[in-house]
Amino acid sequence: MSTADHRMLGGIRIAWLHLRVGVMNELQYRANFVIQLIQSLVAIGTGLVVLALIFDHTDQLDGWTRPELLVVMGVFTLVGGLIGFVIEPNMGRIMGDIERGTFDYVLTKPVDSQLLASLREFRIWRLTDAIVGLVVLVWGLSQLDATFGVPEVVWFVSTLSAGTVLIYCLWLVLTTGAFWVVRMDSVQELFTGLYRAGQYPVTVYPAWLRLMLTYLVPLGFAITVPSESLTGRMTIERLVVTLGFMVVAFAVTRWFWRRGTRHYSGASA
Amino acid sequence: MIDDNAAVSVDALRKAFQVPVREAGVAAAIKSLVHREHREVVAVHEVTFSIAPGEIVGFLGPNGAGKTTTLKMLSGLLHPTAGAVRVLGHEPWRRERDYLRRMTLVMGNRNQLQWDLPALDSFELTRAIYRLPEALFIAQRDELVDLLELGSLVNKPVRNLSLGERMKAEIANSLLHRPEILFLDEPTLGLDVPMQRRIRSFLADYNLRHGASIMLTTHYMADVEALCERVIVIHHGSILFDGPLSVLAQQFAGHKTLVVTLDEPADLSRYGEVVESSPTRTTLRIARDQTAAVTARLLSEFSVRDLTVEDPPIDDVIELAFASGTPT
Repeated sequence: MSTADHRMLGGIRIAWLHLRVGVMNELQYRANFVIQLIQSLVAIGTGLVVLALIFDHTDQLDGWTRPELLVVMGVFTLVGGLIGFVIEPNMGRIMGDIERGTFDYVLTKPVDSQLLASLREFRIWRLTDAIVGLVVLVWGLSQLDATFGVPEVVWFVSTLSAGTVLIYCLWLVLTTGAFWVVRMDSVQELFTGLYRAGQYPVTVYPAWLRLMLTYLVPLGFAITVPSESLTGRMTIERLVVTLGFMVVAFAVTRWFWRRGTRHYSGASA
Repeated sequence: MIDDNAAVSVDALRKAFQVPVREAGVAAAIKSLVHREHREVVAVHEVTFSIAPGEIVGFLGPNGAGKTTTLKMLSGLLHPTAGAVRVLGHEPWRRERDYLRRMTLVMGNRNQLQWDLPALDSFELTRAIYRLPEALFIAQRDELVDLLELGSLVNKPVRNLSLGERMKAEIANSLLHRPEILFLDEPTLGLDVPMQRRIRSFLADYNLRHGASIMLTTHYMADVEALCERVIVIHHGSILFDGPLSVLAQQFAGHKTLVVTLDEPADLSRYGEVVESSPTRTTLRIARDQTAAVTARLLSEFSVRDLTVEDPPIDDVIELAFASGTPT
């Protein structure tokens, strides 16, 4: 194995141990699971009521039928769960560490600082959202006539992963801003507010908003595109664009992180 | 000059920060939103020193003297503004893995153990981060648990440990990879005296066993007296003194303390400045170069039951050093 492979494996091992620690931590607070479950059900319930109201007036929303929108809502909730499970807690931890000065410990470890900082905190109870989302997704799919097989599932999983990575990139770039300004408390609220827009396919929004929700806040990639891959709307071009955009965004994020940590240590001044 | 044989070698090291300048008041606050003025603050000013392998050096200075800034430059967290640093042959700010694997940084009031879990679980994480082979990890872990008298404390959630116990566990966690150089920033901060003592004796032990170099900052002079043969005193970012602790007293305190107990009460004020006196016991402050002469006279002129000559307490010496600003 090459050194890079070794590092990669080491990184996975560290993330795995952190996950284990996170699970052990959260198992101590079982009440959180109940609260989380109630929250997930209330959120999805509200979403379903709104959908029902919409379909009292129309049969479709910009070409999306009711079961198709259920799929979108399922993906929305699923991705929200993934964000709450791994992205949000780690980004919060980075900001907290910078404020408390404990970020120094991340930088003095012989591992990739971005990897270490991005995969340290896991909130397993937030996965209830992912499970609830998956249930709604399957329910929506069961009402569709479309048949699908392995290719659709592969497209779905790869676009969903790419979309989640894109959201991570955006959030990490915003968090990295804390290296310059220290206090970035509002990032989380800002993102939560914007995220709600992903409940519907971005195609229903006016062009300027659609572009914003695709390339700036990548909800289009994270939610709409995976939904498209399950509802017969996917094209190979779109898949290529999604994966390409992810690669570029990840590279930019990595560069920005390096700049941020350099700034933190005063190397860029 | 950089000395390649030293564990730490620092030459004309300088660190300046750009800090925003702002006057008080709302108008100034608004103005600073648009146009921020900066001022350069020099935290470390042309500092030069080196530390030999296996040496324990106390790094002393009042708050804001530049101690932590220097430690951060040595541990790779801060990039020097000018000057050169080598630690174990590495330029720390590059944060090369080979370097990070060989050093450790402990900050007294900043924790890295998992709060809700036993320290043993955090040790496992550390093991993965440093990729310690199992046998080495277990040996080192058991040795640290033993030396620090942690015992079964490592099985308890960290949140249930006392401050001192937690600090011991933090230290164990920071030394699992058997670093060759330790940067300790106030490792005994806030701990009670017995716990401070235990940590001190542990550090001395660790230094002996593994020949590791240790650089520590502390506000407790007992730490310095117990551990450091050599101290570096830094004030306003510059080195005020670098040498053995005993010489520090000679340089900065021009006096010694003489405690004399006589058989008969007597007035000793003509021998020196009386600091304290009871009928038969007198504490005198005398000029350092007069010590021998005064002692001889007292012994010949009085019936002396007991007599001791002491350097002033190290705290006083340090205070004098800071007050004078330059060696006397």
